[in-house]
Amino acid sequence: MELQLALAALTAVAMVIVSLLTVTLRDLVYSSIMLATLGLLTAAMVALLGYYIVAAFIIIVYVGAAVMFIIISVSMLGGGGFETRNTARGLLAALATLVALAAALGALGLPHTSLPVSVDPRAVGDSLTGGFLAALLVLLVALAATVIEGVAVARRG
Amino acid sequence: MSLQEVVLGASLAVIAVGVYGLTSSSNLIRQLLSVEVIFNGVLLLLILIASTNPNMLTLLMVVLVAVVSGEVIVVIALVISMYRATRELTSEALREEGV
Repeated sequence: MELQLALAALTAVAMVIVSLLTVTLRDLVYSSIMLATLGLLTAAMVALLGYYIVAAFIIIVYVGAAVMFIIISVSMLGGGGFETRNTARGLLAALATLVALAAALGALGLPHTSLPVSVDPRAVGDSLTGGFLAALLVLLVALAATVIEGVAVARRG
Repeated sequence: MSLQEVVLGASLAVIAVGVYGLTSSSNLIRQLLSVEVIFNGVLLLLILIASTNPNMLTLLMVVLVAVVSGEVIVVIALVISMYRATRELTSEALREEGV
């Protein structure tokens, strides 16, 4: 448990640093690579919490397809060009978000669950193909849209 | 310090950083990257809030990740189309073009 907590703390620190690099690095190609790293760190944290299926799905679909698509597209566009920054507005918005989230979580409270959890893959599969077939259809349509858009962009380019 | 507190701190910090990037930059790709940073933070926060039923939460998150992946590809396709039309990638150019 101590090792797990230490790993989670290390991952959390790395996540904050990598997310800062994603939004502050000047070159958008490097920012996109940092986003891929953030996705991998999120998958690591999710796996530490016991959601192995979700962690695998994040790595395969989110990092492996979506974020790689961003990296390749940004590389093709040549970095993204001109950018103006308003740091004061950004800091104010971030502070307001933090205060709002802290107030909401303070008012509602977090449920007392023991982490990490244990997920039953068979029960998840049965739910997905049984009572939640509509969710499976949404999932398939979203992934099909991903493939079709990728092919369309590549053909036009 | 518990695992729950570590994850809560990380998710709130990541969401705040994402909001900072989204509101401070005028570049459309930077704004898309910031939205994705916020998504990563929200995913962790969702685990903390809804972990009472892990099997259902797994289902929800798998669908969420698939929908967000689709959204990323659609937005990138729009950005590429806009870049071809205007040779610029700022939100001001988007507003001027009336796209």
